[in-house]
Amino acid sequence: MNTDALIDRLASDVKTVPRHAAARQLVLSLAGGALVTLVLVVLVLALRPDLGQAVRGFAFWMKAIYTGALGVAATLAVARLARPEPMRLAALWPVALPVLVVAVIAAVQMAQASPDSWRALWLGSTWKVCPVNVLLLSLPILAVLLAWLRRLAPTRLAAAGALAGIAAGAWAATLYGLHCPEFSALFVVTWYSLGILLGGVVGALLGPRVLRW
Amino acid sequence: MPVSDDQLRTWMAEGLAGNAASHAALLRAVAPVLRAFYRRRFGHEDAIEDLVQETLIAVHTRRISYDPSRPLSPWLFAIARYKMVDHFRRSRSTVPLEDAEHVASDAETEQDIHARLDIDQLLATLPPKQASLIRAMHLEGHSVADVARSRGIGESAAKVSAHRGIKALALRMRQSGP
Repeated sequence: MNTDALIDRLASDVKTVPRHAAARQLVLSLAGGALVTLVLVVLVLALRPDLGQAVRGFAFWMKAIYTGALGVAATLAVARLARPEPMRLAALWPVALPVLVVAVIAAVQMAQASPDSWRALWLGSTWKVCPVNVLLLSLPILAVLLAWLRRLAPTRLAAAGALAGIAAGAWAATLYGLHCPEFSALFVVTWYSLGILLGGVVGALLGPRVLRW
Repeated sequence: MPVSDDQLRTWMAEGLAGNAASHAALLRAVAPVLRAFYRRRFGHEDAIEDLVQETLIAVHTRRISYDPSRPLSPWLFAIARYKMVDHFRRSRSTVPLEDAEHVASDAETEQDIHARLDIDQLLATLPPKQASLIRAMHLEGHSVADVARSRGIGESAAKVSAHRGIKALALRMRQSGP
């Protein structure tokens, strides 16, 4: 087909694209994926029995704010990577900021505790399942984020996939906080972050395969 | 028919609002820009037209990824570059060294194209005869004698007319400058 004929054909199919359509679809997709993850947390893992008491404590909100801030930062990065214009990946460094803050809190908590208790602060009682749970819970959110990215125009496919995985992991970890009884910052910065990072690795591997256009 | 980024943005905005004629105008205007973009990097013509068409389809189907508050050309060239890299990957060919240099100097090339768009825009503000004199003498590098003869005017008349035009442009740029 010659190019003029192609242009005529394309121009015969012009749908309206509302302002901020991409952002709105991103938020709706995230909400849908997060709902699936929430159902899994409630039905499969069950809410922590002392949830009513926990929401009045520091640890619950430390976890929620850490993972929520990471979720917001990584989601913004995904939104940027969904546009094709070149960017320096170094501009993504704010995503690491919440991790640094929790690492500082962990250091303070360790300084206040006796060295004998460090191991307990670090491993808690659920370190073996925490990263795997976060990773599995992140998959529904990762799926909707990748589906959204496929409609846009990412040009750094591995990076876009990785940040989608980190965003999915962070949101999943936020909801996992409704189940998880752990309270130490050292635990959170290690095992939550590991689960989120695994989500990023899965996303980075999937990106170049599923996001090409 | 080069057009300004502002004109492209206007067409894109109208196209996003559902105006098919503006969308067609946008695609028609970017096609030659894309052709020039790929021609600088490829020898074979058929590959160029394939890429132009693929990029036009991407511009059409991925309009949602354009942020209307930003200039359009960087978005367009980013898509063009992605399609080119994808083309190399699919055809499993490697980029020869000279071409790799071109790819690396994309920014410069884009600036060249932008500069040409700017010049064309400026020249369009002059009377057509004056603009074509300036184009022939100063952009295409023909001699004053050739230009004057081909237009059936005196050499000094051609020189004076082109000179006046350039002075008018200089004045306009100073006024609209930062």
